[in-house]
Amino acid sequence: MLYLGIDVGSVSTDLVLLDHGLQVVEKHYLRTRGNPIRAIQEGFRLLADQYGDREIAACGTTGSGRQIASVLVGADVVKNEITAHAVAALELDPDVKTIIEIGGQDSKIILLRNGVVSDFAMNTVCAAGTGSFLDRQAERMGISIEEFGDYALKAETPVRIAGRCAVFAESDMIHKQQMGYNQSDIIMGLCEALVRNYLNNVGKGKDIRPKVFFQGGVAANRSMKIAFERALGFEVTVPENHKMMGAIGAAILARDAVRKRARTRFRGFSLVEKHFESKGFECEGCSNRCEVARICENGMEIGCFGDRCGIWSGRIRTCRPIADSL
Amino acid sequence: MKVGIPRGLLYDQFHPFFTRFFTELGAELVISPQTNKSILDAGVQYCVDEACLPVKVFHGHVCHLRDRCDLVFIPRIMQLYKGEYICPKFCGLPEMVTNSIPGLPEVISHPVYATTMARLRQWAMASACPITRDRRRVKSALEAAVDEQSRFRTGYHDQGYPIKVALAGHPYNLYDTFINMNIKKKLNNLGVGVITEEFAGGEDTAQEVRALFKKPFWTFARKTYGFIAALASKKHVQGVVYISSFACGIDSVIIELVRDRIKDFPMLVLKIDEHTGEAGVDTRVEAFADMLERSCKHESDHSPYGQCLYSCKSPV
Repeated sequence: MLYLGIDVGSVSTDLVLLDHGLQVVEKHYLRTRGNPIRAIQEGFRLLADQYGDREIAACGTTGSGRQIASVLVGADVVKNEITAHAVAALELDPDVKTIIEIGGQDSKIILLRNGVVSDFAMNTVCAAGTGSFLDRQAERMGISIEEFGDYALKAETPVRIAGRCAVFAESDMIHKQQMGYNQSDIIMGLCEALVRNYLNNVGKGKDIRPKVFFQGGVAANRSMKIAFERALGFEVTVPENHKMMGAIGAAILARDAVRKRARTRFRGFSLVEKHFESKGFECEGCSNRCEVARICENGMEIGCFGDRCGIWSGRIRTCRPIADSL
Repeated sequence: MKVGIPRGLLYDQFHPFFTRFFTELGAELVISPQTNKSILDAGVQYCVDEACLPVKVFHGHVCHLRDRCDLVFIPRIMQLYKGEYICPKFCGLPEMVTNSIPGLPEVISHPVYATTMARLRQWAMASACPITRDRRRVKSALEAAVDEQSRFRTGYHDQGYPIKVALAGHPYNLYDTFINMNIKKKLNNLGVGVITEEFAGGEDTAQEVRALFKKPFWTFARKTYGFIAALASKKHVQGVVYISSFACGIDSVIIELVRDRIKDFPMLVLKIDEHTGEAGVDTRVEAFADMLERSCKHESDHSPYGQCLYSCKSPV
């Protein structure tokens, strides 16, 4: 019996399988590359070789692409990232008080008291200072993102980089680079700027107490962890599966949902073989002119997204789970 | 004579007054439709870049009326209560619009000071000029309009939901379901009922405002602050959802004042701008509802009276 959790984020799509004791038995971290459907298919291809449909006892989705993922795979639970991250962290350590999570497009702070979320905040409409910005800077400097953080560890005197806005930060970095500062010092300066920006915006007015978990893709960057520790003055823990915490949370929530329902809605790994197509159109039903995305599976419509009134998205409530047709 | 009335900014609050007034004068009314994508697009195209979203949307509404009427009414609302003012953008709104949108018909934009009947009469006489000069007719139109407005009630007060939150923000952000992505429906679908400031006036609110170090300069600030502070401190609601347009100066003051007063009482601030992708808002609203639901379950689990205070549907 395994629980499948899928986190479809802006930059990465993560899949995990948990066993009965909620231990991670399989994890895959894939790049979404602007195509969540293909990323999920790719993930399923990796899983289908080793696992059968019947081994999956429950399936949950989270992340900004959770709705589309749930239609594709037949999810038992569709949960927002905040709850998913909190559930996963609390499972790992019931004493965690603060979660710092920085992903591709979002940065969040989650405060936990007595085992429940007591407050949270997310970045506003602007995505400055998140993973995709670090990605871009690494690419610009010709350093792979995996090595980016280690570069900064060599820094001796970090330079100050403007952190308020990604565009300001980039121009400041370029100016510093043209003035001859070395790359390590600039990168460490950038990490410090991002941490400063995070604490002053997302974390503004929040009572950050230890124990702090640092989760999300950006937590792989060791310099970010150090910059947080310097700014906060205490230790910050990066959980082993920091990238997969959302997916782990989704899997745990799915287990709980199936306990009540007694049967999973999971549609099976055969999804790999299917041909999915997404077509956008503008609905002419009213003056809102919603842009509707229609997802077709082998030519058959399985779901629509993006309409406000629900005339399209409400058309197909749930796909028949394979368990029903057996 | 066709008078165009844009369905933007304070239309939702004062449409009974304005529509009745111009109807009584004998004008034919053309009202722009509910905000939609083409209105938003036109607004963004014509309006100066620095303005907030509701002002841009208002431009879109005026643009829609441009070729459909002989006169456009752009209310320059200055004051609703003595000693306080409306957002500064409202004072210069007619100038912003007329200088940004070319080819507009004649514009009615006399300043509205709704503090006394005498000042309203001045406004009425000036505004009615292009339509009629019959002073008696204008006077009775104004009286009918004031009467119509006094009987008008707006706002939300949901009953029968396990969780209740205060829905706060400027009225044009709360009641324009296009720009706020129908936030009320989203909350209701998650089992969260809302209450707005229209249903929570009274002494508690006034007392909270009096306790401030000085009287708020803006009407929006006074009302919203009093509303949130009163409901949160009396725990009449479990949380606050504040809808704020990106770059709103007044909101930045209100939000800080409120946070200072209510401390760690749950409050979700949703910044809205041109975005029409709903994933970001959905995540925040769902997480907030989850948090309230879980914490109220948690409290009820540990209730000293041994009873469940709220019945929450799901444990997650």
